[in-house]
Amino acid sequence: MFKTTLAGLLAHKLRLLLTSLAITLGVGFIAGTFVLTDTIDAGFAQKFTADAQKISVAVLPNGDDADRRQEPILTTGDLAKVRGVKGVADAQGIVQGTAPLIGKNGKVAGSRATSGISILKGTLNRTAITEGAAPAAATEAVLDKDTAKTRQFTVGDTITVLDSKQVKHQFTLVGLFDVGVNQQLSFTGAVGFTTDTALRMTGAKGFREIDVRGGDGVSPEDLRASVAAALGSGYTVKTGTQLADDLASANNMDTEFIRMGLLLFGLIAMLVAALVIYNTFNILVAQRAREMALLRCIGATKKQIFGSILLESVVVGVLSSVLGLLIGLGLGAAALAVLGAVDAPIPTGTGVSLSSRTIVVGLLIGIIVTVAAALLPARAATRVAPIAALRSQVEESTFRAGVLRTVFGALFLLAGTGVTVLGVAQDPGQDALLIVMAGGCVFFLGVLIVAPMIVKPLGAFVGWLPRRLFGVPGKLAVDNSRRNPKRAATTTVALTIGVTLMSLISVITTTTRATVSEQLNEQFPVDYMIGTQQRDSTIPRAVAGELRSRPEFGSVITVRETEARIKGQSVNIGAFTVDPLFKVTPVKGSMKDFGPGTAAVTSWTAKELGVTVGDTVKAAGRDYRVVALLSDQSTPVYGVNLTERDFDAAFPRVMDKQILIKVKDGVAADTSRRIVEAVTDPYPTVLVESARETRGAFDEALDMITMIITGLLGLAVLISLLGIANTLSLSVHERTRESALLRALGLTRPQLRRMLSIEALVLGLIGALVGVALGVGFGWAATQTMVDDVIFRAPVLQILGFVALSGVAGVVAALLPARRAAKASIVGSLASS
Amino acid sequence: MTMTTDVRQALTARGLTKVYGQGDAAVHALRGVEVGFATGAFTAIMGPSGSGKSTLMHCLAGLDTVSAGEIHVGDVEITKLNDKQLTLLRRERIGFVFQAFNLLPTLTAEQNIRLPLEIAGRQADQVLFDRVIETVGLRERLGHRPTQLSGGQQQRVAVARALISKPQVIFADEPTGNLDSRSGAEVLSFLRRSVRELGQTIVMVTHDPVAASYADRVIFLRDGLLVTELHQPTAQTVLDTLLKLEA
Repeated sequence: MFKTTLAGLLAHKLRLLLTSLAITLGVGFIAGTFVLTDTIDAGFAQKFTADAQKISVAVLPNGDDADRRQEPILTTGDLAKVRGVKGVADAQGIVQGTAPLIGKNGKVAGSRATSGISILKGTLNRTAITEGAAPAAATEAVLDKDTAKTRQFTVGDTITVLDSKQVKHQFTLVGLFDVGVNQQLSFTGAVGFTTDTALRMTGAKGFREIDVRGGDGVSPEDLRASVAAALGSGYTVKTGTQLADDLASANNMDTEFIRMGLLLFGLIAMLVAALVIYNTFNILVAQRAREMALLRCIGATKKQIFGSILLESVVVGVLSSVLGLLIGLGLGAAALAVLGAVDAPIPTGTGVSLSSRTIVVGLLIGIIVTVAAALLPARAATRVAPIAALRSQVEESTFRAGVLRTVFGALFLLAGTGVTVLGVAQDPGQDALLIVMAGGCVFFLGVLIVAPMIVKPLGAFVGWLPRRLFGVPGKLAVDNSRRNPKRAATTTVALTIGVTLMSLISVITTTTRATVSEQLNEQFPVDYMIGTQQRDSTIPRAVAGELRSRPEFGSVITVRETEARIKGQSVNIGAFTVDPLFKVTPVKGSMKDFGPGTAAVTSWTAKELGVTVGDTVKAAGRDYRVVALLSDQSTPVYGVNLTERDFDAAFPRVMDKQILIKVKDGVAADTSRRIVEAVTDPYPTVLVESARETRGAFDEALDMITMIITGLLGLAVLISLLGIANTLSLSVHERTRESALLRALGLTRPQLRRMLSIEALVLGLIGALVGVALGVGFGWAATQTMVDDVIFRAPVLQILGFVALSGVAGVVAALLPARRAAKASIVGSLASS
Repeated sequence: MTMTTDVRQALTARGLTKVYGQGDAAVHALRGVEVGFATGAFTAIMGPSGSGKSTLMHCLAGLDTVSAGEIHVGDVEITKLNDKQLTLLRRERIGFVFQAFNLLPTLTAEQNIRLPLEIAGRQADQVLFDRVIETVGLRERLGHRPTQLSGGQQQRVAVARALISKPQVIFADEPTGNLDSRSGAEVLSFLRRSVRELGQTIVMVTHDPVAASYADRVIFLRDGLLVTELHQPTAQTVLDTLLKLEA
């Protein structure tokens, strides 16, 4: 039996290859993910280990890192204590804070303040100076090389940096350094000083870490013990090796995140691949019914037939998984090369690592998916009766929608719809989204069950045009596509998965974009937004005052807010700017009564506080009467809104976080821009952004996300196209004599090829239509769970593009099978049984 | 359609040679066959297994290429045509009835009958259609699919399909090979009637002396050569000739 199976496989190498390719791609992607993330992990470990060799012992403060406002620090006293320990040759503290670099335009550089760090002296230094020297004096500084490049500073230049009190200081740029794998520094950019200068500039009260180098002959373990003993409790003291391990595993957590995200797409691809394999084996079994019957006739048991099909799937699984591993290795290396080329802050220098886990997981997933997908077809093979060997013509499989299928299909579809409606009806939030997602999954199962029932009418619908456009080949093709509904259903569902997810994503992003920009436009059509670089820094009130005095500006709205304790709860409270252009429609009550001594509260905050219109809230020692409840989605609106005068009286020290400006109609763009810049120029930390820039950046980010996700889903679509090609080539094989008959009756070769292409087109379109319907439907449901008043937008062009692409892709998938069918000789094909 | 000088010949072959393979492995299926088929006649081709009768039919019908020689269908020398021209010729001038698998399973009987005309983009002659359907006796079965028809009915649909486009020649390859004797007799009588009543030219390959006896003339092949022929054959004379050939 084993030999028979192998001989059969070898006889059909092309079929084997096509079948394998689906699994190969899926396994390749999964293996590639592991290779990439493993290599990054290994790179981090290597880097940290190299660093760790420079230090014997590191002291870290104990404390909760989550509480960002008060980061635990080590004092100079601690440093002195460490230096006093016997066996310590050198000990230095590491400083890290913010030190905004001023660009050549006189404004702070970048949208985030640059970090200010200390560069340690001697062998304890872990920062790699790539050009020039480390800062040795209080007037010297170094800059990370990327920031230097973008801000056009070179060694020898004078740079200006703000200290924590926003005072400008000048330094001579003596060198450049590489931030290496530090994600935070890579993101913000960094200026390096001597330790004392760093402390002064950042305003840090102490150190993040104290690094210790032991004297000759002192073991790090002993030193760790004596340092720990000298400091007492409240400190974490590690040896360099421990520190390296901890840092590496912290970074592994980050790569774990990437790994999980990528693996999700890999699993979707494998799901599609499983459908392709299932379909392929089903068709193979149907085609080889006579072969199986013959084997049964000459004495093979059902078990042996089952075993032989399963063995075939094992061979396919092993082969394709091994190939997949190789492809994964290539993919991982390619991804690393790309990341290295764009200078991402990850280590890419180490060789590509293929761990035993990658091999085991890749092989296991590939083989299990293949064999599991072949189980049902293998069972079907055992049902072939020996007598079938004697029948001359292969029976046309007729499909009837069974009662069971109808009932279960309807149940799943109804349940899916019900759950989704429940989710949509809920208040927007994560729970609602999860419910909708669950509903979507159940509904999809329903679609899977009823797919063979809906393929026929859909085929008629999609085939309407080709039937009329392409004459006899068109008619025959549409009939053929609806001929075996089960096969057509499985083939198209594979494509449906990819298209569903793609249109889902595009609906969600388009709707998000429309909703966000519409909200901005409707409530307050902003022209300029004035803000600051850092989270905590603010805009002096003088700025808003001056802007309001200018006749060119229609409205100037400030974001002035703080936290206050009301009824024992911490509540967001702010100054509400009354402006004709800023429309806020209350959910309850009226803004007409809004004035001194009153407050408008968002409905969420009102619920939290248990107040409504007419009640009073007490903040900062004064009572305010609630006159209106506002929608939670309005911006800029705070939990509790007071008049500007009341707010300033209660919280005199709170400055503006943001200023939104609407220019009067008829004022030229460059005039308004000049005025805004003139007003803000004296304040280097204040940044001006035009609304168009903001929206452009937002759009770009959304586009990027959409592109990445669509690209990753493209893999699933590619695999499903392999499925179409496979189904079609097996169908062509099955219909060899039919094609020969048509050729004998006068169908030309091009007509025969066209017939098969149209069949693929119809299959592709069916899959795409179902996918688009599901994607848009559940995309709508998902967006309903995001916020209250969503402005739903379906990206019509993009979705039409998906449908057209699926059709075209189907035709492309048909190219090879169609060529083969057209090339076959008529006489030979008529003779073959 | 213009005819050649010999109006009586619907199909002629001269020096027809077909060789499969090369060198030592070469198999000479036809070794210079000279034959003509009269218009409006029912001719049977017979011969022992391996005599080349199927190859002869495939070549005559333009389904297979020849190694040497000429074939004329009416005034067209088909041995000079390329694949596209041959396809169009089959469409316009040649009808087929095969032993098995004559019909497309997705189409109804009527759609199968009309298929050649549809492929050619021609309108069916409704009078001819009705007459053919009456002759074949399939009126009630027109809406059925092949799987719902008996073997004999399927072959009758195939014959009707071949007739409907009024081809110059119909080739029938063992048309009764898969049928019981009663269905076989029905199909054969029908073929003969279409020659008598519609003036159709039919060339049939068979190994069954009874089937051959329905023809006007039987030609016998052995080892790729035409050896003898019978006119107005009976089953007995055909059988005797065959036995002589095998001896």
